[in-house]
Amino acid sequence: MTRALPLKDIRVINLGWVWAGPVTGQTLSYLGAEVLKIESEARVDMTRNLPPFAEGEVSFNRSLSNHACWAGNGSVSLNLKKPEGKKLVLDLVAEADVVIENFGPGVMEKMGFGYDQLREVKDDIVLCSMPATGLSGPLKNVRTYGLSLTSITGLDSLVGYKNGGPIPVENAFSDPFAGIFSAFAIVTALNHRDNSGVGQHIDFSQQEAIMQMTGPAYMDYVLNNRVGGPKSNEHPVAAAAPHGVFPCVGEDRWISLAVPSDEEWLCLKAAMDNPAWSEEVEYSSLEKRLENIDELHAQVAQWTVGFDDYELSEKLQAQGVAAAPVLNVADLLSNPHYKARGTFIEVTHPLGFEETIYGAYVKTSRSKAQVKPGPWIGQDNERAFKGILGMDDDSYRQLIEDKVIY
Amino acid sequence: MPSGALNGIKVVDFGQMISAPFCAKLFSDYGADVIKVEAPGGDAARHMGPFPQDVPHPEKSGLYFINNTNKRGVTCDVTTAAGRAVFLQLLQWADVLVENNLPLQMKEWGLDYESIAGVNENLVVISITPFGQTGPYSGWNAYDLNAFHLSGASSRYCGRPGEMPLEHGTFAADYFGAVTGAAWGMAATYGRGNAGGGQLVDVSCAEAIAAAFVGGQNIGGYAQDGKFDKRTGVGMPLGAPATIMPCRDGHVWMLTLEIGQWQGLKQVMGNPEWADLELFDDMQARAQNADLIYPFIEEWTMQHNKMEIMEKCQAAGCPITAVFTVAEAAEHPHLAARDYFVNIEHPELGEVKNLGAPFKLPASPGGPVTAAPLLGQHNAEVYGEILGLGAAEIAQLVSDGTIGDSA
Repeated sequence: MTRALPLKDIRVINLGWVWAGPVTGQTLSYLGAEVLKIESEARVDMTRNLPPFAEGEVSFNRSLSNHACWAGNGSVSLNLKKPEGKKLVLDLVAEADVVIENFGPGVMEKMGFGYDQLREVKDDIVLCSMPATGLSGPLKNVRTYGLSLTSITGLDSLVGYKNGGPIPVENAFSDPFAGIFSAFAIVTALNHRDNSGVGQHIDFSQQEAIMQMTGPAYMDYVLNNRVGGPKSNEHPVAAAAPHGVFPCVGEDRWISLAVPSDEEWLCLKAAMDNPAWSEEVEYSSLEKRLENIDELHAQVAQWTVGFDDYELSEKLQAQGVAAAPVLNVADLLSNPHYKARGTFIEVTHPLGFEETIYGAYVKTSRSKAQVKPGPWIGQDNERAFKGILGMDDDSYRQLIEDKVIY
Repeated sequence: MPSGALNGIKVVDFGQMISAPFCAKLFSDYGADVIKVEAPGGDAARHMGPFPQDVPHPEKSGLYFINNTNKRGVTCDVTTAAGRAVFLQLLQWADVLVENNLPLQMKEWGLDYESIAGVNENLVVISITPFGQTGPYSGWNAYDLNAFHLSGASSRYCGRPGEMPLEHGTFAADYFGAVTGAAWGMAATYGRGNAGGGQLVDVSCAEAIAAAFVGGQNIGGYAQDGKFDKRTGVGMPLGAPATIMPCRDGHVWMLTLEIGQWQGLKQVMGNPEWADLELFDDMQARAQNADLIYPFIEEWTMQHNKMEIMEKCQAAGCPITAVFTVAEAAEHPHLAARDYFVNIEHPELGEVKNLGAPFKLPASPGGPVTAAPLLGQHNAEVYGEILGLGAAEIAQLVSDGTIGDSA
């Protein structure tokens, strides 16, 4: 019985940059695809220059966050300012199944890589374009970064402290979300290609993909004309109380607690030793607990603040209450659950240093993902040009000398 | 069922609430034949709002409506031996099972992966749970909230220092787990020939975010240098302006990184004297003087409306956007021009404007077409068509409670 990865034999040319596009490539790679990211020293991706660097040595080949976020992608270096560089991209596309890009609309066409141009070299190619707001429409040229893209979906308007204004999220949640989501779009299009013989040009608007996350609030608007706002960590559709994050012993230590049912409320009460306040009529049903949620949360916080977050989670779980510690970045590495699941792994980079990245964050029972860290620029040149394109040594050397392969 | 890219793929959705139903909806909206199996009491989402006028009704939940389009619905009581047998027959028919019950619950029902894998060796099982099928927390009770806050995302990126960390959005962990399950699960289905059959795709919502969002940006640095950061309450503390700010009618995401963007903003603000320091041309210098800069900018934003600020700043080359309310997003002409919204007729809710396909596949268009099923709506059709049962046999299943008493 073979145990190959599911996307074995699928080849992907990744013109994506920064974060979302590289995560698309990474997802397909973890699932077995061969992914070649096209980049160049002539225009180094900004994320290659993000500190900290491996062993503190500043280099665009040593950014630790870049190596984690781009893990799985291979790297082929081609100078796209030169016509020979562009030609070689098309030569690779002719041998590929999928092309990924996350430039603005029209950029691919200007580069000579529009869908029609790609079809000339590979008729059934699947091109996945993932611009911020899609390939058409009045806002298609909006300038935005992943960091603030969520603002034009309605999502940001829902995040913040109760009765206060929106609080920004300090990194682009939307990038890995859209990256993984678009990998689904690509496999879906490959399925159609296999069924029908035709490829297609996927119009993946990050705005529209992310806006799916506003579904519950969107429905409240559509059904009741109600416009939601920030409500701390309270339940999105008011179906649990308590539902929040509560302080524990220590600096910035917290526990998350979610109590949707009466049964779980009784468990929580028992864990608290049924204090007098919890017997009051104000807390006797979910409806009443929701009505008095501020007072309820204040009471619970007075109780949790005397406990260690990990110990209290164990204690509450033993009683059947949904509780878990709120982790910071350092906790992720020491947490026994993530350790047991091998979430983070130490790997040796091809350049020789050790680094910690995330591994296959989904566990598959039959085929195990092979995770390799993000590449140095041009790491896969020989394999791509000599192996895939069958280029001879002299031509290869000449192209390096001419800074086409660069 | 509408035609689409996933035509021919057969899916059983045995999920509740958000994660598994939304994952299965991605299959059904792109053409897979998805059968939603509910316990006789129905998906928990049916009992949560939003309901029209806040009046609870199991067929009027907006939460259920939006995550179950294009599916057929049946009921089945898997706690009975006969019900479990019916369920296993559905799994024999299916290519994919999507579910999000807690691992201990599935084990109690005798429906954990080990117990069902032998039924259909080509079945791909997508299990989406807060903490996953293995590891010390796999036996824990948990919901979306617990998963999100175990990911490190709230401590690192969302909230003011000293105050409670916040979840980013609503059911954010469930949605992240859902798309992760869809991508990995669809690939496992597509590549069964390569892999040699079906398999378990074990998604932990917490782990997916801890890895692909928080870990990617932070874990290498922490592992090497032992240093890590926490939330600041500011969008990007290394720049200014680079955060959400109030304006006359709401909020705007003010952001200038490159020098041209800063000069564009200055020009839109009418080149105020305070901004004319050459020092401020540098993003880091602006960040170091954030306390000085933000009040000046706010004085300007408070005199203008968000859409006006967005329009003028965009025209000047700045990546500045209005913070849309849910209503503003729902009514935006850009999304309307792209046909992002679709009207769906529902027997109890009437015509409802729904979010459409999350991405566009021109050669095989997808998106919601038929409304979420009523509870047990397709019992006769599905149990007849797939299990080959006649009317009398189905009536027997109803009368003995195997598929519930609501059919």
